[in-house]
This record gives sequence, structure tokens and C-alpha cells, in this order.
Amino acid sequence: MTQTDSKTGFLDRNYFLLRRLHSLTGIMPIGVFLISHLLTNASIVWGRFDSREAAYGHAGAAVFQKEVNFIHSLPFLLLIEIFGLWLPIAFHAALGVVYAMSGKPNNQRYAYQDNWRYTLQRISGYVGIAFIFYHLATLRWGWTFLIPGGTQWSAEFAGSTLAQVMQGGPDGVTFKGLVVALFYFVGVSLLVFHFANGLWTSAITWGLTISAKAQKRWGVACLGVGASLMALAWAAIFGFMVLDVKSAKDAEAKILKGPLPVLEKAADAGGSSDLARTAK
Amino acid sequence: MITSLTNAPAGPHAKELAQRAANRRNAKVGRTVMVKVQRCDGPGKASRWETFKVTTERGMNVISALQQIAGNPVTTDGKKTTPVVWNSGCLEEVCGACTMVINGKVRQSCSCLLDDYAPNEGDTITLEPMSKFPIIRDLWVDRERLFHNLRRVKAWVPIDGTYNLGPGPREHPKDQEIRYKMSECMSCGCCLEACPQFNLEADESKWDTSFIGAHAINQARLFNMHATGKELAMERLDALMGPGGVSDCGNAQNCVKVCPKSIPLTESIAAMGRAVTLASFTKFFRS
Repeated sequence: MTQTDSKTGFLDRNYFLLRRLHSLTGIMPIGVFLISHLLTNASIVWGRFDSREAAYGHAGAAVFQKEVNFIHSLPFLLLIEIFGLWLPIAFHAALGVVYAMSGKPNNQRYAYQDNWRYTLQRISGYVGIAFIFYHLATLRWGWTFLIPGGTQWSAEFAGSTLAQVMQGGPDGVTFKGLVVALFYFVGVSLLVFHFANGLWTSAITWGLTISAKAQKRWGVACLGVGASLMALAWAAIFGFMVLDVKSAKDAEAKILKGPLPVLEKAADAGGSSDLARTAK
Repeated sequence: MITSLTNAPAGPHAKELAQRAANRRNAKVGRTVMVKVQRCDGPGKASRWETFKVTTERGMNVISALQQIAGNPVTTDGKKTTPVVWNSGCLEEVCGACTMVINGKVRQSCSCLLDDYAPNEGDTITLEPMSKFPIIRDLWVDRERLFHNLRRVKAWVPIDGTYNLGPGPREHPKDQEIRYKMSECMSCGCCLEACPQFNLEADESKWDTSFIGAHAINQARLFNMHATGKELAMERLDALMGPGGVSDCGNAQNCVKVCPKSIPLTESIAAMGRAVTLASFTKFFRS
């Protein structure tokens, strides 16, 4: 026994803690971030219905730009990114791969729905890692050689540059752009599934849902969460695929220039003053 | 709790069970059924397939088919071979010894009727040994790791000693009722065979750190609920918190679907998940 004790590695000595941290990080911060990220992205669609932003010419692009501006106004953003997102995701991914490799899927023989979700949870993890890496590398770290058309994403022109990334260039959707968009569609869909299913299994892991009935009930709730997030994710991809780059760019340029005189008048008249605030 | 066979079956296998019941009604005695067996001459030897012809008798199960084959071990190619080796005990689905993979799914062979699985003339039924345990020969596997894992969680009530301990604490009938279902486990290995997280491990030194399996987690819960068995509760939870413990469950939930005794294995896994969660808080703040 003592011989094996001296041989046990870091992973084995902190086994339970690491397992539970793996579960926890999937929900907080990663899952919580995923929800807010998808809500922000989908603003390119739901923002269109914000009549207060109509004066910018493209309300969707304006709302999305302001969401991005808000995120970029957060203090210590790089520290938040590194310790709140990148490290937890790297941790969750690295342990996830180790754990996933300990299993051998057997779906041909036992083709139960739960068993398919078991396998899909692992596949979505692998694809998710590749997708998140591509997503970060191209849009955050500026590896533009991985983007067809080589668009550089810009925080000041958030919507229009993102649309160019996903459409494959400034002149509408190209074939290569479609490939990128398809990768986004698959990657994001799998990650949403991964989160919703992980939310369901984590309740078993931590012992929140014990009876089969409780597990089923929580499963319905997780299905609801997953379906809602899926709708947001698909809306965002659709929104950027059909976004008119030129009118989005105009709206963003107006925000960059500062408050619009017309809008200030509207604000004085008792309207919202947040336009003026955000637009610096 | 007794389900009449004439009633429409319920549960995850309702369709399958209904089909089998229909097969049983239509099957004719004296038909020829092909029994395809995965054979292996001994540990470490290569496996091969052999097919035998069996003439069905009324109520014939897989074991009696194998007995008929043993009486005349000639394959369908006309090749004389050795009798197929299998393991069996009770022949009434309570000992678990005759567990094997039949038509791709794990179950007891004694309770498996040929009429259910091969109702027509010339139908084939396929027999394989369980894949998660080392083969001794043909359909006979060594389930030692299964029992080893029960020892990991001390799946017993500690009453051994040198003097009479007297009567134990009274048990609440409600607890007894919950425990009764869990106690029906016959250590057959179905839950392990169907589990994607439990895989063949030839290296015995790794048995203590590889996934313990649903059966052992269920037994840990059973004995932790027992008024006297509770004495070892923390030791059982320690085993479940370590490598290969309850956290290694991947929630594929095949175990509960293949369990021949319908033991709520996934509920036991969740219950022990809760127990180790609480134990970890206790350990962190109190000890």
C-alpha cells in the first residue's frame, strides 16, 4: 500500500477535488459565461427590435456594438479573461480529455438515448475544444491567416467585422465563409448541448437529483435551457450571416464618433440618456 | 410488485418484451435453431466463431441448448469439436453465474428462452462471453474483479468478533423497503458489461483505481443505510471518493437498463454522489 501511495501522482492524490472542480468549472464560470456570451451575440437579432437605436440606421449592429463596448469598459478585462475564462476552460478541457479517454462508448450494442448522450457529451467536448481554440485564435488573438479573406476583427466595428469573418469577406457570403459559418454552427450547437447535458449530469454527480423522477424532471428543465440557448446561438449565426456590412459599419462609425445631436435632443426630451453615455 | 406475464410489459424494454412474448406464442417445438457461439480455448488464446444446430424442445433455454450441443458437439460445417464450456448455478436467475452476451446484449442465459430469441425455423441466436472480464474458456469468464470491487467498499455488516454482540438496532420498515430492492443484487455483472466506463483490466494492480462499477456503489449505499453496516460508512465513502470511485461514473445509465433485478442503480449512484459531497464538506470543515 505504501508503495502505491508514493507512486500515486498529483491527479490521484487530489482525485475527488479535481473531479468536482471539473464539474463546477463547467457551470461556473464557463456555463454562466456561455449564457451571457450567447445573449450578447444574439443582440445582433434582438437589437433590431430596439426602436431607441433606430437612429443609428441599423439598430441590431448598434446594440451589439454597445454590448461590446460595455464588455471592453470592464476593469482588468485581461485578468478577467485569463483567470475567469481561459484558465478554467483549459482546466475543464484538459481534465475532460483525460476523463473521456477512460471510457469506451458502446452505442451499437446499447443504443439507449442516455447512452447516446454519454457519447455525444464526449464528442462535443473534443469538437468544442477545437472550436473554442479556433474562435479565440482568430477573433481574440488575431490569427487572421485562419480566416478566409483575412478579416481582422475590431472591437470598434464589432458587428461589421464579425459579419465579414463569417461571410468570408466584405462582399457578401462566399463558399469559404459558408464553411466557417458551418463550423460555427456545429461548434456552437455541440457546446450548447455539452452545457445543457452537463447541467443535467452535474445534478447527479453532486447528488441534487436522486430519484429517477427527479432526474427526469431536471432533465426537462435542462432541455428547456438547452433549447433556449440553441435558439440564441442559431439566431446569432443567422444574424451575422445576413448582416449588411455597410449599414452596420455606418452605425458603428456613428457610435465611435460620439453622441448624435438628434439623439441628444431626444434624450433631453426625456428619452434614454444611455446612448450618450456609452458613446463617449 | 409482481407483474403478470400476460399484462403488457412496461419500462425501457416494453417493446422488446412484447416482441419476445409474441415470439413465444408463435414458436413451434421441434424446429431447428442455429446457435452461434464465440469460443476461446483458454486465457490469452484467440477467439473464433462456431455455429451449432439445435432441435428445440418445449421451454428450451440457452443452457439446455448448450447441453444438447455438448451431447453432440458437431458444427454446422460437420466439424467435430469440443463441448462448449459455460458457467451456471441456480438456473433460476438468482445466482448470476450464467451471465453472457446474447444477441449483443448482456443477460442471464438460464432465463433466456430460445422461443423468445429465435422463434422461426433456422433463426440464429448468438452467444458471447462477457467482454469486461477475462475469459477462462468459451462462455465462462472470471468475475473476480467484481467481488474485489465489493471488498473495496466493504460491502458487509461488521459483526465478526469473539463474543455475542446481542441483537442489532431496530430497522425502520421504510428503510428496509428501500434496502430490499438494492439487496436483490446477485453480482452477475450485467451493469458492468453494459457500462462504457467499466472496461477489461488485465493488470490486477490497477483494480483498486479503476472504475468500481454500479454494483459496488449500490452495495455501498445498501450497507450505509443499514443500522449496523453504517459503522463503516466513512470508509466506504473514502473508497468512493478516490480514483475509480463514484466520480468515474459517466452517466450513460446503461446499468439500470440491463439490470435483471431492476435495481435503481442510477439512483444509488446519485445518492452516493450526494453522500460524498456532504462527506467532503464535513471533512473540509470539521476534521
